Amino acid sequence: MSLETSWYLAAAAILFILGAYCIAVKRNMIKIVIGVEILTSAVHLNFVALGSELSPTLAVEALAQSVVIVSIVIAAAIATLALLLVINAHRHYATLDVRRLRRLRW
Amino acid sequence: MSLLVLMPVLTLLFAAILTPLVTALGKAVGFEKARDLFSIGAFAATLYYVFKLDLLVKASEEGFAVYHLEAYGPPFGVTYFVDSLSVYMAYVYVGVGLMVAVYSLRYMEKDSGLDKYYALLLAMVAGMIGVAFAGDFFNLFIFWETMSLSAYVLVAFRKHRWEPIEASFKYLVMSTFGSLLFLYAMSFLYGITGTLNFEALAQGLQEAGPSTLTMFFLVTMIVCGFGVTASVVPFHTWLPDAHPAAPASISAMLSGVVIKVGVYAIYRVLFVAFTPLVFDFGTVLMLFGILTMTVANIMALLQRDIKRLLAYSSIVNIGYILTGAGIGAYALTHYYSTAPEIALVVAGLAIMGALFHVFNHAVGKGLLFLCSGCFIHEAKTRDLAELEGIGKKMPWTGASFSVGLLTLAGVPPLSGFWSKLFIILAGFNMAKDPFMVGVTIAVVVNSVFAAAYYLWVMQRVMFRKPKTRAEGAREAPGTMVLPIVLLAAACVVVGIWPDLVIQLADSAAHALIGG
Repeated sequence: MSLETSWYLAAAAILFILGAYCIAVKRNMIKIVIGVEILTSAVHLNFVALGSELSPTLAVEALAQSVVIVSIVIAAAIATLALLLVINAHRHYATLDVRRLRRLRW
Repeated sequence: MSLLVLMPVLTLLFAAILTPLVTALGKAVGFEKARDLFSIGAFAATLYYVFKLDLLVKASEEGFAVYHLEAYGPPFGVTYFVDSLSVYMAYVYVGVGLMVAVYSLRYMEKDSGLDKYYALLLAMVAGMIGVAFAGDFFNLFIFWETMSLSAYVLVAFRKHRWEPIEASFKYLVMSTFGSLLFLYAMSFLYGITGTLNFEALAQGLQEAGPSTLTMFFLVTMIVCGFGVTASVVPFHTWLPDAHPAAPASISAMLSGVVIKVGVYAIYRVLFVAFTPLVFDFGTVLMLFGILTMTVANIMALLQRDIKRLLAYSSIVNIGYILTGAGIGAYALTHYYSTAPEIALVVAGLAIMGALFHVFNHAVGKGLLFLCSGCFIHEAKTRDLAELEGIGKKMPWTGASFSVGLLTLAGVPPLSGFWSKLFIILAGFNMAKDPFMVGVTIAVVVNSVFAAAYYLWVMQRVMFRKPKTRAEGAREAPGTMVLPIVLLAAACVVVGIWPDLVIQLADSAAHALIGG
């Protein structure tokens, strides 16, 4: 593994931790959705970095490219749906604070 | 190499796309039920194709059928891989889906946007079958997300109320985190071996021989990632919110089969790609299983809401299913070198029991959620105290509800008894191993504990004096009672002739452990 790739992997790991932290700590529903997006980007970065490692000729190997492109589309769908739910929640409560929302028991 | 492999998924996906069109046509000619009947027809056609596929797989020499695009073969292209385990799971998914579609005919009629409801239901089942038929991680991930996205929307289907919105948001965030976790693990596996195909992955992993620490991380990430959907404790917190918040028909679908997709993915990936002979993941699965059933049993006791109680009991049953697989994998890892015959027999028995329990729980829990839908429809409450005695007013639903509770409690003549018996027997076959004995005792204690509160619920719903809300309840309409009675009949028939399912489950188990 070249030095360059491991830098990318480290960056992906840091992004992943940041995303998880964002989901766990942030109280604003939109920020939680952003956290999910950061997580997604971290995983995509990891995939692309490992793909470039594997391919001697292409910039990134074809399999990694196709997985990441499909995953980006799925992530867009998820983000859309999550924001729709945020809009609906805002209609019910007139707030985006997740603490106000927790009428559900754990 | 046959196009038949694609047919179950394609039928459902095309039906999902066509549903809005059929709805519009139905409205134009003044026959609105056309879309309902269309989706029931789509499920029936899928069931037929799964049956044909079953015959194809049985007839084939190697015991599986493969499909991949001409130009992009394995190990890089997308592969559909169908063996008896995939077919077995597909039977369960489509069977419950068909019952739910029939039930929705009357149950959902007061809701609006039913074309979307049916389209999403069809897409969700298509995703589940796709996961069962996937031969590589790429395929599995796409179908997994198809299923999950449909499930999020279906949970939030009654969006005018606050509860579904919150539950769906929580489900979305947790489940997406889970799927990203396994995508992360998948990227490392890809980095190590350069492929995503399960078979090639198994070879590549043995050749590359990554360190134990790396493998430990990857197994943990995969179990946690799929475990969110399978609602393994401690990733279960979304389930008791999401399942009760959904319409009863969708709760039956989610609790009955969607969580099983998570379990299936754990089975498939761990047993095929990691192989129990090389990596000791059985212990991890057993520990997770025991933790899951114990915590969920205690939580279930505290519930007043009938649907929350049923949701927690689903988590308990996931615990049994995981433990069954764990016992099998443990036997293979630790005893295959010294006593291969015993290890194979025990593994076969344990995994067969676990797969049989997948069937029993899908049927039983589907039945219970559909019945609870009828009760809630009549009494307009989910509070167990208010629902006391409602079974007397609704004899068919009440009797079927009791059958469902008894089968999950594991009372002998019913189907749930057999699957638990097989898991426990497999555990006691390894009586020389103290760890295994401990696990088996934990399973026994938990199932007795669970049986106690199932009987308690049954006593409250069936035998107490009806309260004010329950007093006015009347029997549900015929098309709602029909699927309920059919599911209850399945519990009884399979209980009396367990061979009907055992044969399928046995060949599925052997397809998994290979021999």
